[in-house]
Amino acid sequence: MKIQNLAVIFIIIILPISLILTSYTQSQVKTLSLQISYDSKLNNATYDALKAFQLNTLNSSTSDIANSKLRDIEASVNTFFNSISSNFNMAGYNKDILKNYVPALVYTMYDGYYIYSPYTNTLTDREDKDGATYRNNEKIYGLKPYIHYSCRYKSSSYDIVITYSLDNYITIQGTINGKSVYRYGYLLDNIGGNYTNGTGNNITYRGIDIGSESLNEYVDKDNRQTYVKINGVKYYNDNGQWYSLLNGKRYNQTNRYKINNEAAMQYYKEANDFTKWIKNNLGDLKTSDAVDENGNPLLDEQGNKKFGDAKVFDFGAKGTAEGSIEDANSDFNQHRLAVIRYSIEKNLSIAIANYNNYTDVKTNFQMPKLQEDEWTRIINNVSIISFLQGLNIGGKVYNGYSIITNTKNEEMVRYDSIYLVNGSDSYYYRPTDGNLSSSIQYTGIFNLDFERRAKQLDDGSDYYFYPQKQLGSYTSIVNNAINKNAEEDFYGYIDNMGTNVAKAYYTALGRERYSMYRTNNDINSEGMRQAYMQ
Amino acid sequence: MGDTIITVVAIALAAVLMFVFPLMTMSDRTDDVSQLTVDTATTEFVDNVRTTGKLTIDKYGKFVENISSTGNAYDVEMELKVLDENPGKKTTQATATKIGENVYYSEYTSQILDELDQKGIIQLKEGDIFSTSVKNTNATMAQQLKNFFYSVTGNDTYTIAAEHAGVVSVTGSND
Repeated sequence: MKIQNLAVIFIIIILPISLILTSYTQSQVKTLSLQISYDSKLNNATYDALKAFQLNTLNSSTSDIANSKLRDIEASVNTFFNSISSNFNMAGYNKDILKNYVPALVYTMYDGYYIYSPYTNTLTDREDKDGATYRNNEKIYGLKPYIHYSCRYKSSSYDIVITYSLDNYITIQGTINGKSVYRYGYLLDNIGGNYTNGTGNNITYRGIDIGSESLNEYVDKDNRQTYVKINGVKYYNDNGQWYSLLNGKRYNQTNRYKINNEAAMQYYKEANDFTKWIKNNLGDLKTSDAVDENGNPLLDEQGNKKFGDAKVFDFGAKGTAEGSIEDANSDFNQHRLAVIRYSIEKNLSIAIANYNNYTDVKTNFQMPKLQEDEWTRIINNVSIISFLQGLNIGGKVYNGYSIITNTKNEEMVRYDSIYLVNGSDSYYYRPTDGNLSSSIQYTGIFNLDFERRAKQLDDGSDYYFYPQKQLGSYTSIVNNAINKNAEEDFYGYIDNMGTNVAKAYYTALGRERYSMYRTNNDINSEGMRQAYMQ
Repeated sequence: MGDTIITVVAIALAAVLMFVFPLMTMSDRTDDVSQLTVDTATTEFVDNVRTTGKLTIDKYGKFVENISSTGNAYDVEMELKVLDENPGKKTTQATATKIGENVYYSEYTSQILDELDQKGIIQLKEGDIFSTSVKNTNATMAQQLKNFFYSVTGNDTYTIAAEHAGVVSVTGSND
């Protein structure tokens, strides 16, 4: 055979192979790049949803109360779908179609979480008469009831449910030795002072004396007034007349509040009392006592105890750097995170699996396996988790999720949500800023108070102002520079910064946590009156 | 005589057809796959930094390792636009109805890498913008073969490039 013929045969063989190979790689490339672009779109839409939640809660004075929070979350869900549909418009998907591919949205909050997914409405009573918007057995896409991060423990002497939160605050409900209990509060080691042994009124945290303090902030562009924050609401002092603002409207109060509030002192005192009570009553509670809602022990796949066998309340946590229950590695905190994770994982996988009954999309909806570092982000922050599944992206079916967390919200006071200011300085700092001086007095301010607020004028126009006018420090706020020493041991670093910094920080942390809105709070309680009332 | 010339031409043609042509298509495919890897790695890297608020030396190292696994050398350029709200805060006092008068200042690759070398981690805050672009610096096989036939010259003769950027969605913290 001539060499030319060979060449022709060779080309006949090679050409189709190379053509097919080309188109195959091209389609793979297309699939993957589509997947990447979907991932980014999902991330962006989730961030938009979170931003909407953040803005709405920041500018509403009732955002922490449940039904108002629901409205904010509904608004945030709408933002998510609007954003995702405008992001996907290029591909020809609109909002209603995309809804079929979102099996669940999760909003993790301070002491529980909401899942947004479809459910079957149940309405058995005379639906023809009551003019209900939704009918019985109707499939509705909406927010399901709030689920708390809670776990039930049962042994011969107690049967209790502990509701955890994103920090050391817990609520205990149930019976101990046949007596019913309902207690709540913070768990803290390291509290001292003569209050702890009942001989005086002095209270210290990590050796720092906690005192009363007077706070003030701008209420509009130029007016600065003293305020106290009680149960999430700020009360301002206008020349002796105290008032609160409800969505821009002023309401005068008959109560007189303390100019120098004692919220921080009260926070540590109540934490001390609660901690003592726990030590006396539940000191030997074991993680292995955890049971499910029917009272059967919680076991993992191997049949071992789900949460191991350790003390839940390991005060003075041994084996941790800090040796206190506040330490992130204490058994209490590890168990708390495990409970939160277990609760979210369980309910979310049920919600997503159930989605198969509600959608027309022919895909098997399943909860993707989240990675460890993603769980760490979810269980330490207020966050939104979104899922987008079942979209055809060429070679395969898209199955993506996005986790966006947030540190700026009214839901919780994180350890790093406290910034320090000084009256004569035009900047605000993180407590780990290298420019802080141990010889200057500081005041700790919650990070949200540095955020811009909108205020409506009588003519209906908006204008913006900052409750605290200081500018962000260029060494810790603007560039969020890391402080190596503080990174390893935050509390140790604060302690070494000297009394002024430590006092400002611990006082502000206590005050902000004490003045947060909580359903458990009783404004007329002894402690609250002592903290705020004149 | 005429036959010899034809044979020589035929051999040359056959050589091109049987060796160079398949080699070229194959190396083109390799570049496609490399392009895909680099695209994916870049997007993942930027999105990870964006959603965690943290850029660590480990993440960067892993990213470089990922793209290097394609067998090419790359030039990685990062830019971090740090949001500075202070100027806006100052002017808001004059014109309280305006929003968004913010300023960004930038840090570029060498500064970012310096800081990473020193501290091992850079924390970003919500609102910052992070971007990364990657280009190959060596001539890939496909490029060399192409240059053999028609030479493309100049500085920007890369074939594999990827770029991704976005707003940081969370203030980085230590947990």
